[in-house]
Amino acid sequence: MIDRRPPMVWAWWYAVAAVLVCVAVGPAAYLVLASVATRDASGGVSWSFAAYASAWRDGKLGGPLVNSILVTAARAALNVIIAAMAAYPLARMRFRGRDTVFVLLLATMMIPEQVVVVPMFRTVVGLGLFDTLAAVVVPFSVTALGIYLCRQAFAQIPMEMEEAARMDGAGSLRVWWHVMLPLSAPTLSTLALFSVIGAWSDLLWPLIVLQSREHATLPVAISGLMGQFATDARVAYAASVLALVPIVLVLAAAQRFMRSDVLGGAVKG
Amino acid sequence: MSAGREHHRLAPLAFLAPAVVVLGVFFAWGFARVAWYSLTDTSAFSGGDFVGADNYRRLLTTGLFVACLINSVAYLAVTPLIAGVALVAAMCVASEVKGSRWLRAVFFLPVVTPTIVAALAWRALYDENDGLLNTALEWFGLGPVGWLSERPWTLISAMLVTLWKGFGFYMLVLLGALLAVPREQREAAALDGASRWGVFRHVVLPSIRPALVLVMVVSAISALKVFDEVFVTIRGAPLEHQTVVPLVYELAFEQGRFGLASAAGCVLFVVVLGLSLLNLWLGRGDGQGRPRGVSGGKAR
Repeated sequence: MIDRRPPMVWAWWYAVAAVLVCVAVGPAAYLVLASVATRDASGGVSWSFAAYASAWRDGKLGGPLVNSILVTAARAALNVIIAAMAAYPLARMRFRGRDTVFVLLLATMMIPEQVVVVPMFRTVVGLGLFDTLAAVVVPFSVTALGIYLCRQAFAQIPMEMEEAARMDGAGSLRVWWHVMLPLSAPTLSTLALFSVIGAWSDLLWPLIVLQSREHATLPVAISGLMGQFATDARVAYAASVLALVPIVLVLAAAQRFMRSDVLGGAVKG
Repeated sequence: MSAGREHHRLAPLAFLAPAVVVLGVFFAWGFARVAWYSLTDTSAFSGGDFVGADNYRRLLTTGLFVACLINSVAYLAVTPLIAGVALVAAMCVASEVKGSRWLRAVFFLPVVTPTIVAALAWRALYDENDGLLNTALEWFGLGPVGWLSERPWTLISAMLVTLWKGFGFYMLVLLGALLAVPREQREAAALDGASRWGVFRHVVLPSIRPALVLVMVVSAISALKVFDEVFVTIRGAPLEHQTVVPLVYELAFEQGRFGLASAAGCVLFVVVLGLSLLNLWLGRGDGQGRPRGVSGGKAR
């Protein structure tokens, strides 16, 4: 298509986009810069990666990095699997109370985790999971929104696909695995991506249920560094860059799963 | 609905069990318990005699909780800002200027940034002695701002982090809606002599309305529930500068007063519920194509 927009309009868009890009990238860039550069009294700037060595060695970030990766991977995988399991009967099977179950599951969206942290904490302690990585994963291994998105995706799959598989003798489990999951891959990938982003950043809940240093996730460890190395902020900055790099790589690799049409599904109903 | 006749009688149960157990135990049952705790003097060390509405009375008569609640409600001011910035960002991406595909990823960078990292970066910018913001203000002859220590700046500092971290996500929602506006409609309106603004006002805006409302509602609810940005960005500021969830954390996990913390959580829940109901109620009354609340109905 031939664009008839006058140059002025283009210039305006470029200006707005440039400002927004600076705002979006600025603070993260500043953090990276602040982790390696210091200004001395005479106004000169000196460069050093010492903060990284110090963060890694004294801050002992290797363990938290591994913990964060484990927790994030487990939460993303479980979020997809459990939500997709629940969504299958809700979308495709007939049984008594189906709609009631669906509405009740969705109603849990109304209950903010921040409101129920106290009983959640006691349940975790009661299950003997306090200060374990499982405690971080289990309560958030499925979300009502995830179930909703999967149900929407399954409802789009033509009935004939499922009937053909049943004709070939496939049971519910095989239909779910071989028909439903592959055909709703875009939705499942988006759900996985957003679970990864959420789990990687999560602070409140891990802070509550994790206690020992060896079980800390990266955000918890960084939160600890903030107090501990109050004199040298660069150590906390270096640790932050370490937390930022993996998730940016995930974003770069998974950009195509950042789909607005899947999110739009939540709007269009 | 013809399928579903052939499944085993217990199949639905088996598929649903994990989700029902997790959401049931931690959220539904947790909610019932938090409501009960709020009426008791349960603590981390002893538990739980019924004390009626004592906790609520104590919360509402002490200045601290009321201050935090007011801050939480004031935090809602971030909602229109976030919707506005997200819309401008979405329009940039949709405008098809060169490189606009990259913009989407760049605007998403703050979304994937762990909140603690974002808060640390902003803390560096807010630093009251040699932070970039106060240095810049100094050039214009403006006095140093107490971003991390003075009211109302503390709350504003946290809100800016929420805005920064959130707009990319809502941009994605709005982008989906913008791209769904039929090009023919816009071109037809332009041919009829509508100005650029006219096309936006009368064609684009009405059709992205449901998405815009969703963005407002979702961002308002998460503004009320904010924890990370406040907890980390203005760490060290007095509690009465903060919002309800950091107070819940303080009461429950620093002071061990589970009953009182639960009551604070319940008050927050009522506010969130009130906001959701308000949205449903607003959605019912309007005849402009948004039949049933936010998630119900068709977009067009």
